[in-house]
Amino acid sequence: MSGDTSAAAASSAADHDGVVGPGTPLLEVRDLAVEFRTPEGNVRAVDGLSYRVAAGRTLAVVGESGSGKSVSSLAVMGLLPDTARVTHGEVLLAGEDLLSLSRREHRRRCGERIAMVFQDALAALNPVHTVGYQLTEALRRRRGMSRRDAGRRAVELLDLVGVPNARGRVKDYPHQFSGGMRQRVMIATALALDPDVLIADEPTTALDVTVQAQVLRLLAEIQAERRMGLVLITHDLGVVAGMADDVTVMYAGRVVERAPVRDTFGAPAHPYTRALLHSIPSSGAGGDGEGRRLPVIPGRPPSPAALPTGCAFHPRCDTARDVCRTDPPPLEAVAVDRASACHFAAEVLASHDVPPPVEHEEAAHD
Amino acid sequence: MGRYIARRVLQAVGTLLLVMLLLHLLTTVAIQLNGNPAQAFFGDKVASPTQLAAVEQRFNLDDPCFDQVGNPCLGPFVERLGQYARGDFGTNLRGREVSDIVAAAAPNTLRLFCVVLITWLALGMVLGSVAARRRGSTGDHGIRLTSVLIDAFPVFVLLIVYRYVVAVPLHRWAEETFGEDSWPPYWFKPSFDADHPWATVVVPGILLGLAGSAAFIRLVRAGQLEAYQGDHVRAARSKGLAERHVVVHHVVRNSSVPVVTAVGLTFAEALGGAVITEGLMNIYGMGGVLWEAVRNDDVGLVLGIVTLLAAVTVVVMIVVDIAYAVLDPRIRYD
Repeated sequence: MSGDTSAAAASSAADHDGVVGPGTPLLEVRDLAVEFRTPEGNVRAVDGLSYRVAAGRTLAVVGESGSGKSVSSLAVMGLLPDTARVTHGEVLLAGEDLLSLSRREHRRRCGERIAMVFQDALAALNPVHTVGYQLTEALRRRRGMSRRDAGRRAVELLDLVGVPNARGRVKDYPHQFSGGMRQRVMIATALALDPDVLIADEPTTALDVTVQAQVLRLLAEIQAERRMGLVLITHDLGVVAGMADDVTVMYAGRVVERAPVRDTFGAPAHPYTRALLHSIPSSGAGGDGEGRRLPVIPGRPPSPAALPTGCAFHPRCDTARDVCRTDPPPLEAVAVDRASACHFAAEVLASHDVPPPVEHEEAAHD
Repeated sequence: MGRYIARRVLQAVGTLLLVMLLLHLLTTVAIQLNGNPAQAFFGDKVASPTQLAAVEQRFNLDDPCFDQVGNPCLGPFVERLGQYARGDFGTNLRGREVSDIVAAAAPNTLRLFCVVLITWLALGMVLGSVAARRRGSTGDHGIRLTSVLIDAFPVFVLLIVYRYVVAVPLHRWAEETFGEDSWPPYWFKPSFDADHPWATVVVPGILLGLAGSAAFIRLVRAGQLEAYQGDHVRAARSKGLAERHVVVHHVVRNSSVPVVTAVGLTFAEALGGAVITEGLMNIYGMGGVLWEAVRNDDVGLVLGIVTLLAAVTVVVMIVVDIAYAVLDPRIRYD
């Protein structure tokens, strides 16, 4: 893998001003690479990821499972397992590189300013402590808040995320909540220390569709109210369409496309993004789409341990040519605010053969 | 929570009655098949029928049902339950009250169990936690190897080696170093001393605890490893809490449920191990008394002590169940 050229390309794309849009970035990830130690040698799970999140903006990080999107957020939070390490890159929080700090300092900084909402709230909440304890654990341990104040704050937090009868429920345990309420509790836990940036790792994957929409709306409201930066990690493009301002598409550990959401949904600049958009079921499928099969991306995402040569997506790509099998495409600017890692990005961008974006109806902003 | 405890206590009483009934049926069948235990009272001497009848009456063996094989003899059982309820646990063959014997022997056994329990918890928690925290390290492998070695040495081997090889030189050394009246020589005394019950029970207790600790170490290690993998630990770390706090409140706390269960289960097992330890180290305790009673065909004493041990076990189980519910809120609302 020719890490050097692609890394340089990725950082040049990151330096390109205005990629993220207005506002100074609160959280900036620069050229992040994460490797896992395995019996078969080191495997690179994330390679050259860069993104920026500004206050009040939502960045969606999209990719299939195994694309490195969750691993990268763990790296940002300093929560990587022992078998993984960051091989290079920077995570700048208001200009300070978190990765240069000790792990202890790194984690202290997070929680305070960056908080995380995990995918499976039932697993992420400790079953043996009350919800109130977990909501205010950090406040009490780190801010030295008294038990009485913490109890009051816990009620406020539950109220904030719309848990009914908050006063009566702080003493309940996570298993006594429904899935959606549990995810609300999880969000409240993340808000306890008033973070500037919220990283939500597939926050609605474990929920029913109807509840998903409610939780997403809650996230959007809270974000707008507090002008937080939101990093939304998801594989659901419907969610992206409804919530995000910018999108970063990852494939096999690398960024393949970065763009404002409206632009990319109208005209993707990478064949992978285009294929993803094609495979969203259209909402009008009941009428005209009867009998029509939903297009899928052929093949499976590659194992990070055995990436294809050249462009990692070429075995599944409908526009792949010879050069794709040999040369990994650099991430390069293709338009204002947009970057794509495809040799034929201009061609893909010009071909406009995408259905109009399907907005996630419930979660739509406006 | 109150209902949960009430239900458990009721179950426990039922269990205890069942154990006593089973015990009664087994001894009844034994008497019916093996002949009159009242004979044992006379040892080698030949007793006259009147003497025999007097002894039978004294030990409640005069009921004709004991001569009919297959008769459950419920009459004497109910009678005995009535006596137990009045606090009368009968006498042994020499006429000593069973309750007196227990009052003398039980404290020593409890002392032994105290030491055993502390040894278990200390070894299990410390070594298990270290192994889990440094999974895959040399320390982890060493601790696992040690736990296998401990398992490979039965408690009586440990005790015999200690008693015949280590204790005497250590005892002599301690006497020479600290003086005869100081505490250390008693720690290494190769047999129990009723005047110094705590000092002389410490080392046997530690050895008995050591023998049972292997399963404990592995259990704590496995439980904590699972907890470390948990998403809730990651979530707790994401709040920026200190690692110490995370380990104590989210790893150790969560893995404590199986540990408490194991304490209860191993406790019952340790009652058996105590017979050997008490026997080898001459500790006058419940195990030793029971052993003697069985050897002397002392039915009254056996019944009394086994009933008592069953009651203790049942009480321990209730305590474990309650501890379980306190530790894991998901259990309470089953």
